[in-house]
Amino acid sequence: MAVLILAQITLGVMAATWRVSPAKLELFFWHKSTGMLILALVALRLLWRLANPTPALPSGMPAWERAAARSSHLLLYLLMIALPVSGWIINSAANVPFRIFWLIPLPAIVAPDKPTADLVALVHGGLFAALALVLVAHIGAALRHHFVKRNAVLIRMLPDAWRTP
Amino acid sequence: MKEIVVLLGLCGLVLAGALNPAQGADWKMDAAGSKLEFIATFEKTAAPGVFKEFDARLRFEPEKPAGGSLDVTIKVTSADMSIADVNKEIRGKDWFDYAGFPQAEFRSTDLRRKEGNHYVARGTLSLKGVKQPVEVPFTWTGSADGATMEGELTLKRGAFGIGSGEWAASNVIGADVKVKFKVKLRKAG
Repeated sequence: MAVLILAQITLGVMAATWRVSPAKLELFFWHKSTGMLILALVALRLLWRLANPTPALPSGMPAWERAAARSSHLLLYLLMIALPVSGWIINSAANVPFRIFWLIPLPAIVAPDKPTADLVALVHGGLFAALALVLVAHIGAALRHHFVKRNAVLIRMLPDAWRTP
Repeated sequence: MKEIVVLLGLCGLVLAGALNPAQGADWKMDAAGSKLEFIATFEKTAAPGVFKEFDARLRFEPEKPAGGSLDVTIKVTSADMSIADVNKEIRGKDWFDYAGFPQAEFRSTDLRRKEGNHYVARGTLSLKGVKQPVEVPFTWTGSADGATMEGELTLKRGAFGIGSGEWAASNVIGADVKVKFKVKLRKAG
């Protein structure tokens, strides 16, 4: 998921800045396909999270760290949903025919309207900026747990078999 | 009295026209009921467009198509693919080149019946400065107040230089463009 999101950010930035060319359309095609894949995976992930207990935070964490962790995780979920959904709205409003990975036709969720597409494109960019900030905090915090506080918060994401004793 | 004579005379002419259609009647297009679509593909998904302005003139006798003619003029600059950014791009030199070639034409003087109400018009399509022989198949459906011509054909956009330079590659925007038309006709004169 993390790899997909980082690839998605790269594709999105390249697609948005590339000059108009077949390569730009190709970048957008992969950006949109990956975005819809991420949206589906986030839905699965939310179901999993609702059905299973959330891993406990390490004991002895100050209250402000707990609050920061909870709110940044909530923000990450919101952004992981809002970004693909806003992309979907742009594609619908721009009236671009599109099939996810050439296979699944993406239905329109709003009526074709150029001003809507332009406005939501700005929102999409703003959400991306927010995601970039939260990701820096999230990754920074994870590294701090591992290297500074020397606890298992980062490592415990790995399957048991991969952890070195 | 004079008016009645003129009216009767007109009725006679109309009747004669209806009863004796062997001359190869002239037909005019009814723009309101007619449609000319072109369907490109984008990442293997249909991307439809339409030429909002075009006109067809036809000399045609369904029972005796030989000697007829079909003349279609298309205002290329009326193309609409219903995507704002795309509509802006297709004006350019790489695509339709509105400035250089605002109009396209199809002319045929070779109309033949294939079977039943299926016909084919062999002629020349002039598009973006390229003239190519093209066969346009169509069906003919007569009605009380006119007739309808319908058909579709597939063109290679590359043959007409539509999408030149780096756009000539067909992996993102397909090589084939389907052209669909429905033309409502009324007897002229």
